[in-house]
Amino acid sequence: MFDGMLLGLETAFTLQNMFFAALGCFIGTIIGMLPGLGPMSVVAIMIPVSLQIGDPSTTLILLAGVYYGAIFGGSTSSILINAPGEAAVVATAFDGYPMAQKGQAGKALTIAAISSFSGGTIGVILLMFFAPALANFAILFWSAEYFALVLVGLSAISAFAGKGKVLKALMMTLLGLMLATVGESSLFHAPRFTLGIMDLQSGINFVTLAMGLFAVPEAFFLAIDKIRGKKSSSNKSQEISNLRINLKEAKAIMPVIARQSVQGFLIGVMPGTGATIASFLGYAVERNLASPEERKEFGKGSIKGLAAPETANNAASTGSFVPLLTLGIPGSGTTAVLLGAFIALNLQPGPQLMQDRPEVFWSIIMSMYFGNVILLLLNLPLVPYIARLLLIPRSFLIPFVLFFAMAGAYIGQNNATELLLLLGFGVLAIIFRFADYPLPPLLIGFVLGQMFEDNLGRAMRNANGIQFIWERPMTLTLIISAAIFILVPLIRDWLTNKRK
Amino acid sequence: MLDLNRAVALALLAFSSGYAYLAYTYHLLPFELFLSVRPNTMPLALAVGGIICSLFLLIKKQSPENETEGDGTVNRADGEYLKNPQNYNWFQGIALLVLATFYALFLRSLGFLFCTSTFLILGGILLGERRYTLLISISFTASILVWYLVHEVLTIFLRPWPGWFY
Repeated sequence: MFDGMLLGLETAFTLQNMFFAALGCFIGTIIGMLPGLGPMSVVAIMIPVSLQIGDPSTTLILLAGVYYGAIFGGSTSSILINAPGEAAVVATAFDGYPMAQKGQAGKALTIAAISSFSGGTIGVILLMFFAPALANFAILFWSAEYFALVLVGLSAISAFAGKGKVLKALMMTLLGLMLATVGESSLFHAPRFTLGIMDLQSGINFVTLAMGLFAVPEAFFLAIDKIRGKKSSSNKSQEISNLRINLKEAKAIMPVIARQSVQGFLIGVMPGTGATIASFLGYAVERNLASPEERKEFGKGSIKGLAAPETANNAASTGSFVPLLTLGIPGSGTTAVLLGAFIALNLQPGPQLMQDRPEVFWSIIMSMYFGNVILLLLNLPLVPYIARLLLIPRSFLIPFVLFFAMAGAYIGQNNATELLLLLGFGVLAIIFRFADYPLPPLLIGFVLGQMFEDNLGRAMRNANGIQFIWERPMTLTLIISAAIFILVPLIRDWLTNKRK
Repeated sequence: MLDLNRAVALALLAFSSGYAYLAYTYHLLPFELFLSVRPNTMPLALAVGGIICSLFLLIKKQSPENETEGDGTVNRADGEYLKNPQNYNWFQGIALLVLATFYALFLRSLGFLFCTSTFLILGGILLGERRYTLLISISFTASILVWYLVHEVLTIFLRPWPGWFY
């Protein structure tokens, strides 16, 4: 193995490959900032360009860089303008955007960069040493366990169920789950609830809903209230671009990063789960592990609430390479696109890759490590400048926020109905916000809804009923954990309210 | 009295009931009748959950509104805007949404470049920007840059001009 690592280092650390890794990270970060162009689209778009390079190692190194860069780029738009263009960075907006509103955009972006770097790097180390063993473990997971995992991911909604909002959070989750059933599902192959509208045949587009729920209301509230989100501080410019994290904050996020790197990686290893569940699960777990004081901060700008999903989604992205490289099974949408690149390069990922083309196998892994370092070095100096975007006068900023939200929904679909749907969701979201309904549970329900139904359906079909719940110990354990995660905070809130 | 909270709960009840009706009347194929999980199994469960939840929301005693967050940031609870509506610029917010609707309606027919730059210019003017030269140059530059990145670099089709133009 060490010979392979050395070979990988030798291949990855040539001037040409280092240049392409850096270029990939840069391109990925810039394009990933556009809502609607998530890592999967960005990698797919870059494949024809990268194939022109010719050398398989360099091509894959460039694509891996694009992948990491796009994930980080997505976090930036989530934090700065509350526009999560990709499901995996929705949880980043929960605490990242409130931090930006408090004038801590620079700090939020720094925490996101450091968490991404740590999650990605620890993920690569785990990938180097445990890839073959973990691949065998991952295929032991059946749909019953996936269903239970989604249930644990859904427990993240309890973070938004405080202050008498339990029922509202639950209602929003149900609404999200209902919206997820619109269109064709992979389980039934027949359109449902489309009301005869052709554009709904393939379901509601995630970007349309996310932009409608988050970016449109934000633009509206910024337009009606001139001083919203502003802080009466004399040195606002310095404060907003300040990267500094103090020792106390560093100490607080360190255990979160350590836990979520491992947890996120393990979730990423399982085919079909990926960074989205990892980020929600990471958020839910860290909220439940936090002290009562810290828990109150979740959803309002908690550094732990930002570090958890950012670490988990990057570690999961690395983890999703395990089934691809060792079994030839793509673990996520993006790795499925990467599988296409492997095939175009005449490479067959799987157990033979390590033996037949060790220089390719190890150079990809080594370049991931290098890519993470590049991403950190590239982004940290840029953070103050990126954060200053918030200082743009509102007469420029607000129309641009709205334009980016609409462009995200329109690009790739070329369908103006998406824009009308987006604005419709936006108006509904404004009404919900006036009535104090939490919107994140709606998006969590929507994102996890299809996985929830598909895996529950498959598990019930396999077992011909719901006995899989008690017949499979792992499923039972996960379901009990989900029930505890959801019910304990609810009961605690209920008792607190009753005492008052 | 029917306040906003109850009105929203009522709308959610209507939505859940409509969804329940569609799920219940969903046309199952003959073989689907024998499946342990049918296409309307989960929708029916969700609809029942939605109806129960919205009914509780409708009859529940209203909890006090959220207080303004004490973080030194001017970040009001959204419900507060309705308490003192005269303090806020509703015209700008609503007009911006109307402008966005026009953008959505005319994007295909008028083309990306014209529609986007007009949206950004009018949006800026609406929000009080009076440095017209700056506004026009930034709007055109941004539209052209985004179009070039998406259409030329990423090769995603984005019609730049009105359909009748070429």
